[in-house]
Amino acid sequence: MTGAERLRALGHLAPAYLWLTLAVFLPLSAMAFFSLLTDVPFGTREWSFTFRNYADALTNPTYATLLWKSVRLAFWVTLWCLILGFPCAWVLARMLQGRTREALFLLVILPFWSNSLVRIFSWAIVLRGNGVLDQAAGSILPGVRLNLMFSESAIIIGLVHSYLPYVILTCYLSLQAIDETLIEAARSLGARWPRILWRLVLPLALPGLIAGAVLVFVPVVGSFMEPRLLGGRVGTTYGTLIEDQFIAVFNWPLGAALSFILLAVVLVILAAASPALRKAAA
Amino acid sequence: MTEVRVEALTKSYGPAKALDDVTLTFPDGGFFGLLGPSGSGKTTLLRAIAGFVTPDRGRILIGDRSVERVPVEDREIGMVFQSYALFPNMTVAENVAFGLEVRRIPAPDRKARVAEALELVRLGDLGGRKPSELSGGQRQRVAMARAIVTRPRVLLLDEPLSALDRALRVEMQIELKRIQREVGITTIFVTHDQEEALTLSDRIGILRDGRLVREGPPRAVYDDPQDAFTARFLGEANVLTGSLEPGGLRLSDSTLLPGVTTASIALRPEGLAFSATPPDTPHRLHVTLKQRIFSGATGTLILDWRGQDLKLTAPERDLKTIPVDATTLWLTWNRADILPLREPV
Amino acid sequence: MIRQTLARAYLALILIFLYAPIIVMAVMSLNASQFYALPFEFSTRWYERLFTNREILSAAWRSVWIALVVATIATTLGTMAALALWRHDFPGKRILQTLLFPPIAIPWLITGTAMLIFFFGIGIGRGTPAVILGHVALALPYVIVTVTARTASFDRALDEAARSLGARPFTIARRVTLPHAAPGIVAGALFAFAVSFDQFVVSYFLAQPGDTTLPVLIYTAIRKGFTPEINAVSTIIIVVSMALMILAARYARFGGTK
Repeated sequence: MTGAERLRALGHLAPAYLWLTLAVFLPLSAMAFFSLLTDVPFGTREWSFTFRNYADALTNPTYATLLWKSVRLAFWVTLWCLILGFPCAWVLARMLQGRTREALFLLVILPFWSNSLVRIFSWAIVLRGNGVLDQAAGSILPGVRLNLMFSESAIIIGLVHSYLPYVILTCYLSLQAIDETLIEAARSLGARWPRILWRLVLPLALPGLIAGAVLVFVPVVGSFMEPRLLGGRVGTTYGTLIEDQFIAVFNWPLGAALSFILLAVVLVILAAASPALRKAAA
Repeated sequence: MTEVRVEALTKSYGPAKALDDVTLTFPDGGFFGLLGPSGSGKTTLLRAIAGFVTPDRGRILIGDRSVERVPVEDREIGMVFQSYALFPNMTVAENVAFGLEVRRIPAPDRKARVAEALELVRLGDLGGRKPSELSGGQRQRVAMARAIVTRPRVLLLDEPLSALDRALRVEMQIELKRIQREVGITTIFVTHDQEEALTLSDRIGILRDGRLVREGPPRAVYDDPQDAFTARFLGEANVLTGSLEPGGLRLSDSTLLPGVTTASIALRPEGLAFSATPPDTPHRLHVTLKQRIFSGATGTLILDWRGQDLKLTAPERDLKTIPVDATTLWLTWNRADILPLREPV
Repeated sequence: MIRQTLARAYLALILIFLYAPIIVMAVMSLNASQFYALPFEFSTRWYERLFTNREILSAAWRSVWIALVVATIATTLGTMAALALWRHDFPGKRILQTLLFPPIAIPWLITGTAMLIFFFGIGIGRGTPAVILGHVALALPYVIVTVTARTASFDRALDEAARSLGARPFTIARRVTLPHAAPGIVAGALFAFAVSFDQFVVSYFLAQPGDTTLPVLIYTAIRKGFTPEINAVSTIIIVVSMALMILAARYARFGGTK
């Protein structure tokens, strides 16, 4: 690359990456810094360095319980997304072609791109006491009430609804890439569908499955909006805990420390899955 | 062992007939080549025997068993695909063992048979590799091993060598023939390369537009094509047409070829001879020299006869005798080399 | 054949699951009852009430305005970066490409709170400038990825041909590269707008209470006990974002086509 070219490239790349530095990377560093403080360093408050926040975060049983609750929630949501999403992707990728497939694929992905808050709100309408689901159940089996609102089930339903298209997308891309002749070869050797799925399709679609799982697990483990809206008092998670530190309690250093622990969990998961993610992105 | 037979096989895709009333017997233990231009139906026929294509009409018999309604998985076939279709997530050994797993062969026997199959294709110590680590020729052999290890009743090869380069192809042709001889399975293969078909087959079948045009041992079909399409498709041919008279075939320049009983004949380029002076035989044509092509040991002459291109091939040492500035020649041939042609089917 | 029917039935069930709540919400927004009581009685009163609710309208307008600004900035910066990444190969390119992932991969809770801390620290605090700052950072990766996907189908030879004819870089950009990348740029702009307009988490932490964005307003309204106007505005939002996405899909052409 010539000097002039290099300068030009730099000039084109700099604004975007400077912005990212300013808005993402520096803040993350600032948060790391904050997590080691006793109090916010604004105005006239006294502050000093300490590990107390991390000590608190790691030893306090409530925090640990909440972290575990978030992880468990993320686990269940991811599992349901995979179970429901993979067959859907399979149908789209291998049983449909052409315009039908394109149209249905778009239909499936579309809600994913709309406002997630509004979608959760729509579930609140459906699930609440006296809501559509309740009244529908009551009309089919009289006397039965189905008020799912403010329960863990409601949270899971809402989250699965929000993230299901992610899994369908990644699995679809993975399945679509599998060469049809491989399946023909397996059949010519006498294999029936269960074996073909188990020995051939699932291994080859694994990158897509893992990518989808990660794309669901990571945001859900840090979620607070959905649990609050659909879970009410039951909906306290690690995410709501962090949110409280910043909005209600104003213990920003503690919030920063808790955030960082969450970040550590997320980075571990991303690192473990990165070979599969890279394969899926190819 | 197993003879394969198709009867009156027909398959249409919309208005187009991919297979049109094809009846053919593939002899037990033989190496049968299906040959034809693209769109001729040869691949459709192969895939129908395999079970990937369901014919509209007709019967398919493997051994004495009628299999039109039998799904692919149960037909006991072995198939090698053009792209080899090796399972990328399994090693070579696992690929080859796959069919045995399906048949619930116990592990120790599997191991033994896989080793045996790999030995047969001369890949004995590559069992632990993944397909992505192999060369094209090696992958081809793994595909073969995988297909035959289950001892299928018929082996189907879909253009098995077309993905290889020339030198490798020739080498693999010999290998393929050897393996088939050793194993003795009835083998049907599809190719568009007529040279390959001639080299490998015990019998060949030529398809065109879904119909079977000609069938028989390669030598017989080559020496007696019987129609212009086959004459041109298998080898090369100069086709001469004229009007039949009691004395023979009269060509457009009034040459009379005595003893010919068909309106069209074919002459192979290698069966033609040339001379500078008019030869003393009715089997001769006066032609203009259009082009000389040098190909090493042999050479080709492109000649013009009354607006039609004719081709002559001969050893280069003979062609050298033609003066560089020659413009016309006399072509001649033996009466026995005339191939009579009837109308194509 | 039975497999085909089962497959289609399954797909239909999934689609029902995905769209049912949205449809219910839309239908309820046209229901006269304030408490979502059936039987259904058609009425547009909530939409009418919506358009007199100053709080919602100002939040909606602010969201749109912010999204437009964000889309403009993010598309400009992102397109420049994407084109530079496509045209040049240099050491460290892979690192730069990997750096695009943290904003999308890290949960927005973490990024949002980190931004809050940092912006307070450097004196920007909360408010619209902070929101714009944050949204652009979140939208940039989407723009870059979308434009990059489009440039993948570029024929480098066109670029080289133009250069061999003596064209200066700016001319090339104007006459050759940008027109070619245009569909990707448009798609990227639409994504950026949608990312900003729909953004909740980061806005939640960065917006000034009182001068807030529409999603945050909806959230607080729901927590307090919602009125059906929220329903009406939510329906409008969903319809608009879905329409935008269909447009973007036209331009970006996902699903495996060129």
